Amino acid sequence: MPEKKQKINRREFIFRTGIFGALGLAILTFVRNIVLYLFPERKTKTYHKYLVAREDELAVGRAKQIYMGRTPVFIVRQDEGFKVFSGICTHLGCIVKWEQDKERFFCPCHKGVFDKSGKVVSGPPPRPLDEFRVEIENKKVYVFVEDKTRSPWA
Amino acid sequence: MSFKQWFIERFPIDYQKFVEINEKIFIKEPIPTHMKKWLFAMGATPLILFGLQVVTGLFLTFYFIPSPEMAFESVRHITEDVRLGFWIRGIHRWGANLMIISLLLHITRVFFTNAYRKPREINWILGVALFFLTLTISFTGYSLTYNQLSYWATTVGTNMIKEVPVIGGLMLHFLRGGDVVNANTLTRFYSMHVMILPALLMFFIFLHIIILRLHGVSIPEGFEKKYYPFYPHHFYKIIIATLFLLAFMSTLTIILPPGLGTPANPAITPQHIKPEWYFFPMYRFLKLFPLHVGIYATAAFVLVFTFWPFIEPLLSKEKRTRTLFSRTAGILTLIITLALTLWETIVI
Repeated sequence: MPEKKQKINRREFIFRTGIFGALGLAILTFVRNIVLYLFPERKTKTYHKYLVAREDELAVGRAKQIYMGRTPVFIVRQDEGFKVFSGICTHLGCIVKWEQDKERFFCPCHKGVFDKSGKVVSGPPPRPLDEFRVEIENKKVYVFVEDKTRSPWA
Repeated sequence: MSFKQWFIERFPIDYQKFVEINEKIFIKEPIPTHMKKWLFAMGATPLILFGLQVVTGLFLTFYFIPSPEMAFESVRHITEDVRLGFWIRGIHRWGANLMIISLLLHITRVFFTNAYRKPREINWILGVALFFLTLTISFTGYSLTYNQLSYWATTVGTNMIKEVPVIGGLMLHFLRGGDVVNANTLTRFYSMHVMILPALLMFFIFLHIIILRLHGVSIPEGFEKKYYPFYPHHFYKIIIATLFLLAFMSTLTIILPPGLGTPANPAITPQHIKPEWYFFPMYRFLKLFPLHVGIYATAAFVLVFTFWPFIEPLLSKEKRTRTLFSRTAGILTLIITLALTLWETIVI
């Protein structure tokens, strides 16, 4: 385009600045809002506290199995305190067994072995047993279970 | 080497020609001086709103799920959980309403200034088609929220198609994808609402503007035949209108946010069902007469309305008499429409 030197007066300048400023501001706000809209908010996970055992119920080196809903859960007392594991094998989802004499977990499906702190000793499992966060309060053992919301947009 | 040179080497258009064309069809488009008045410059409003509908609608599809189980729930999710979801939905909802209002105003203005007269008859017909397409897209969009009112509005609305002679039953079956409003209806309406109808609208808008540009804006009686260039004055007007509409719709969304209603229940028809306000005249009219009479009368009205530019010259050879006829018909239509709307609004 051939560039012409044009002088604009103050009135025109203020009008143009105003209109393009407002337009720019509107576009920026719009874009910001769309970005917020398109990226779902990251929700912090919430937990519920469940009572799973009394402290004096288990001696060091002993374990107990309970069910939380349909999930088998093992509570193991160790020298340094309590550990609570999900009983679902991390290999292909079979249910592990606690073998008291060997102080280990054994999965009958593919002979996966976990020690009493949940670590893989032998066999195919790719990672240690899933662990729950434990809290001891007034000689009672609690675990924290993640809340599963019913909405499909959890 | 400047970026312009770099680009033109790779996209070898005749730059000088491009500038000329741009100046001719955009920057220096002659705008008649009467369009400096806002009253005559509002034809762009439905277009601006349509643009905003496309943008907000596109973003709504990111969360909306067209299934009987999830439609209502996903609308609720957008409105209540998603960040600024209420705003996007509010703008889409208010945009639809304002689009219809602005079209009604635009049609009224065009009718009473006789802008539809020879040689612009085809553009009037295209405009009427655009208006009815907008009503259809509003109807399909409304039914997607899948609450009690929208579900039953869809049931009642689609039932009317049965009255079309011979192929009515088949059309109804096709539209619903079954005997009653069901999952198929929802996906069909969704497809129409987000793909078929917007594509049709875009095509018709394109034609409407092309014809408008080829003829030039018609100048109402009593105005001078003087012109000014599109840029910058009219360009600013459009920006101002856009900014105003965005601010206005955001405000409306905050003051009067679109509600959710109760989830659709195909087993229970609510006590009082009403369509959206823009169908009030027809709804009230249909209550006054037996169904087939009402539907044929409406169809006849639509036909006369659509082909008015061709009907008007048949009424009289005298231009003054024609104008008198048109004014009378227009005022009668306005009064009857407003009266029926008001009646339906007041009476349950």
